[in-house]
Amino acid sequence: MTERLILKNLCVKYGNLKILEDVNLTVNSGEVVFITGQNGTGKTTLMKTIAGLINRSSGDIFCTPKISYVPQNEDSNLDFPAKVKEIILTGTQRPRKLFYTRSDKKAAMKSMQTLRISNLANRELKTLSGGQLKRVFLARALCGDPELLLLDEPCAGLDAESHEFLYEVLRKIRDTGTAIIIVTHAESDLDEIKPAKVINISHGRIS
Amino acid sequence: MAEFLELFTYPFVIRAILAGCLLSICAAVLGVILVLKHYSLIGHGLSEIGFAALSISAAFGLSPVIISTPAIILASFVILFVSQKYKVAGDTAIAIASSSALALGVLVTSMTGTNSNAYTWLFGSVLALNDLDVILAVILSLTVIITFTIFYNRLFLISYNEEYAKSLGIKTGIYHFVISIMTALVVVSGMRIMGTLLISSIIILPAVSARNISHGFFKLVINSAIISFACFVTGLLSSFVFNISTGACIVLINALVLMIIKLLKLRGN
Repeated sequence: MTERLILKNLCVKYGNLKILEDVNLTVNSGEVVFITGQNGTGKTTLMKTIAGLINRSSGDIFCTPKISYVPQNEDSNLDFPAKVKEIILTGTQRPRKLFYTRSDKKAAMKSMQTLRISNLANRELKTLSGGQLKRVFLARALCGDPELLLLDEPCAGLDAESHEFLYEVLRKIRDTGTAIIIVTHAESDLDEIKPAKVINISHGRIS
Repeated sequence: MAEFLELFTYPFVIRAILAGCLLSICAAVLGVILVLKHYSLIGHGLSEIGFAALSISAAFGLSPVIISTPAIILASFVILFVSQKYKVAGDTAIAIASSSALALGVLVTSMTGTNSNAYTWLFGSVLALNDLDVILAVILSLTVIITFTIFYNRLFLISYNEEYAKSLGIKTGIYHFVISIMTALVVVSGMRIMGTLLISSIIILPAVSARNISHGFFKLVINSAIISFACFVTGLLSSFVFNISTGACIVLINALVLMIIKLLKLRGN
């Protein structure tokens, strides 16, 4: 097993307000880690810090560069005039790569097939339902072939069938060696996939 | 008809068509990014700074291009930096910079007795175009179109969701500078034809029109360029036929197209 993420004494502050304090965590390839905790305890901040969207105040993050983050809400961009296939292709973008290759387009098609959304390829985001959007954003994350997948409440608002399907996909992804961190409130998620660790965050600390 | 065809025998008409067609296309594709990122005001702010630069260069007997190009690029950096750094003050910064620059331009023209040039700078004139202007407009327009093509996927991503772009490891700040330089180049190359007060219209209006009829980002860019090109040629030729201001004619035709598209869409709904 290869280490995909190591957090050492991670601290995040907004001004003088401590959001995360001394968080230590190791996630290996093929592992699923659940992060639980009440609202406002710092779960999303932890995910965004790992994804590089929030700067840490102190501590260290050692992380694979092949990381995909699916936020809880991406509602602010739903009016953007783009087709689903255009959005999913963005998952293959990397810092030193300006153009899509044929293999990128194949990866996008494959991830759409995996999530069973090939029929939505030419639809615009604003025409999709909440469940369809969740699948689109997961497909986008998968087509970048991530080694570490960060999912912030991926099942929020999904019906039972979609919930079951999503975990079926996640189990397959885990079995290919991808490490997955899932923020969740639902205890029923524990029945869907066996996590290597369940971490509860309380007042910015792992309890 | 013969009179209309005779227009194409005049060198200034050919110069205007050559420079203007490229300008209209690059302004329109850039406009898509500016509209989607809510940067519509930046083009207007920069063009008024261009007016101040033109006034100062005329006052000191310097080349308008040599002064206005770096001044507008520098101003675009400052405006975007302020917009990014102090998000709430973005539009305020543009308003302060543009109105101050316009006032400075008016002051300089009135003090140096170059009022007669001011009308041309503000509202443009195809008759004022010389060979150097055309060469400059072609080079700058091609630079913008090539830059847009090279960075197309990145500009799409940045316009769609900056936070997501950052999560992919993309340094979004670099692309803000790419956008600001392209905006500055469009404003510089278009000021002589459209005038500093009207240039921002051909950046924004075609993109807004195209957004109402396009499905997907790529089609939006293509439709914006087609609408802009068609409106430019129609406006330019109409202005020659009816002997009216070219810049104003092009802007009004763009506005008319937008109104027609909106009405048809409302009727369709």
